[in-house]
Amino acid sequence: MAFTGVDQLEAALAGESYLADRGLAVSVYLALTLRRPLLLEGEPGVGKTEIARTLARVTGAELIRLQCYEGIDAAQALYEWDYARQLLYARTLQDGGLDPSRRAAELYGPEFLVERPLLRAVRAGAGAVLLIDEIDRADEEFEAFLLEVLADAAVTIPEIGTITADAPPVVVLTSNRTRELHDALKRRCLYHWIDYPGIERETAIIRLRAPEASEALARSVAEVVARLRDLDLVKRPGPAEAIDWTRALAAIGIGRIDAASAAETLGAAVKNRDDMALVRKILPEVV
Amino acid sequence: MPAAPGDLGPALALARGLREAGVPVGTGRVLSMARGAEAVGPEDLYWAARATLISRREDLPAFDRAFEAAFGIETGAPPSGQEIADRLSTVVAPSGLTVAAGDVDDSPESNLASGIDALRTKSFADCTPAELALLARLMTRLRLDPPMRRTRRRATARSGDPDLRRTLRRAMRTGGDPIDRAWRRRRVQPRRLLLLFDVSGSMSTYSRALAMFAHAALRTGPGWEAFAFGTRLTRMTRALGTADPDLAFAAAAAEVTDWDGGTRIGESLKRLLDEHGRTRVVRGAVCVILSDGLEVGDPEELGRQMERLARLAHRVIWLNPLKGSHGYEPLARGMAAALPHIDVFRAGHNLQSLEEVAEVIQRAG
Repeated sequence: MAFTGVDQLEAALAGESYLADRGLAVSVYLALTLRRPLLLEGEPGVGKTEIARTLARVTGAELIRLQCYEGIDAAQALYEWDYARQLLYARTLQDGGLDPSRRAAELYGPEFLVERPLLRAVRAGAGAVLLIDEIDRADEEFEAFLLEVLADAAVTIPEIGTITADAPPVVVLTSNRTRELHDALKRRCLYHWIDYPGIERETAIIRLRAPEASEALARSVAEVVARLRDLDLVKRPGPAEAIDWTRALAAIGIGRIDAASAAETLGAAVKNRDDMALVRKILPEVV
Repeated sequence: MPAAPGDLGPALALARGLREAGVPVGTGRVLSMARGAEAVGPEDLYWAARATLISRREDLPAFDRAFEAAFGIETGAPPSGQEIADRLSTVVAPSGLTVAAGDVDDSPESNLASGIDALRTKSFADCTPAELALLARLMTRLRLDPPMRRTRRRATARSGDPDLRRTLRRAMRTGGDPIDRAWRRRRVQPRRLLLLFDVSGSMSTYSRALAMFAHAALRTGPGWEAFAFGTRLTRMTRALGTADPDLAFAAAAAEVTDWDGGTRIGESLKRLLDEHGRTRVVRGAVCVILSDGLEVGDPEELGRQMERLARLAHRVIWLNPLKGSHGYEPLARGMAAALPHIDVFRAGHNLQSLEEVAEVIQRAG
């Protein structure tokens, strides 16, 4: 599905319960139009991963997710051979007396290839949204390798050949900035910093994501969370925490947040012991 | 390309403005912006330019300023208070550094040939500039090897976990029987080093000596980060990596020290941990703090931040030159508050002590 303008994309995202700010909508639109990877950064819980999921839904594409972690390498990201089956098969070939020159070709046939997210995305081409989540957790070597795959939208498997995407998949990368990404990777990508939403938009987001909560509850939580973000916290609550908190409050039958109910359910929004102590102390003022 | 040729002017001015502000904007990015601007309506020009021209949150304020200058449009993002404070601080005159440097004995009769052994145990504060220069040369011979940590990445090894891919390859030679087996093991990598220099007043001489040491030992070494603090904190990794350490220190001291000197270690640490606590700069690193621990801020705050630091870092090493003088006891309230969270407490006031520190760092694994 192609979009004719930013407004149309924004509306489609909203239709799937994702309220993007204008900057994000423009960036996503450009990523689709210019066929460039989109690098998203922002505080945890602002919806970096969610936008890729939603984008896959509105474009009718398959979401392929690659969760990065330290030490991830080609075998886990691209492809791997099914060694156990290969070994077994090698033994049967031995007994069957197959022409030795064809043995390798048999042994490295497509049925032994274990497809990993990057290969799957290249094969799916334009029919996929590839989400490369928390790229900052992988190491520099992996980044360089990723750059290669992204640059050509092609994967070379020595035993099989090169697999090229007819059209590159839509690529969304997210980073939590635990380290600075390499410039070469950034240069290839469009970039957007997702900020915390304003109270109006956050209220709307909460309403969409926690439909069981009343308008008054959603707004009061949005207001309290906005004030908590101004505090000097180690880990500030994002929209994801605001949604969780609203859900928790709605679950215990609260129609509007007050100091007592906020204190009881605080664990849904504040996840650090020092922060908890600080927030508890001033909760009566901010609520 | 934008629709009308007249549009190109402000776009180029924007790119130029960003470059002048120190944001690297290549031609490729400018081309992307042109394509992006063409793809969206003029009302979204700001967002299209932002998505294509920059890729760091830190560059957002510079972008907003450059955009405003180029297009004359208010972007509605005023500079933060911290930024204004940072800009003002560069105007405030530096204090301690020049005074301390002038204090050292500069007379020609100070004996250069007093022997390297004597120099090794001489406090940096008593050294002449010539002696410091000699020390800097000596320091280049020191090797600083941070301890290793195991990474999650595996490499071929003589023993360890089975490497199926290689084993299978080899099995081909033996008719499918995995006789010759291959192994792999998790690789090791040196830990990062985090250096925190107190550049207030009397500490500047020691800090510079340690920086010379770091500069010499780490230039080609593994990842490391350096910060300077006085009443504020500034990152000086880049400055130390490229410039003369003396110049780097003069610049850092001018930025973070106030006219009244004084050290706010707790607040500076807090700033460091808030900004970098979640990153690899601190997490799992070997942290070396050089300070006399004379805190003018709240000692309790220092204790709290030291606890945070100790939880994140692999080891915390504190060098306090005052410890080099006889009969010193860490009675200053700041130092006393920090002490429970320190793994290694040394003087670091002369070359011999720094040699010991190099050894301690190595063994900190």
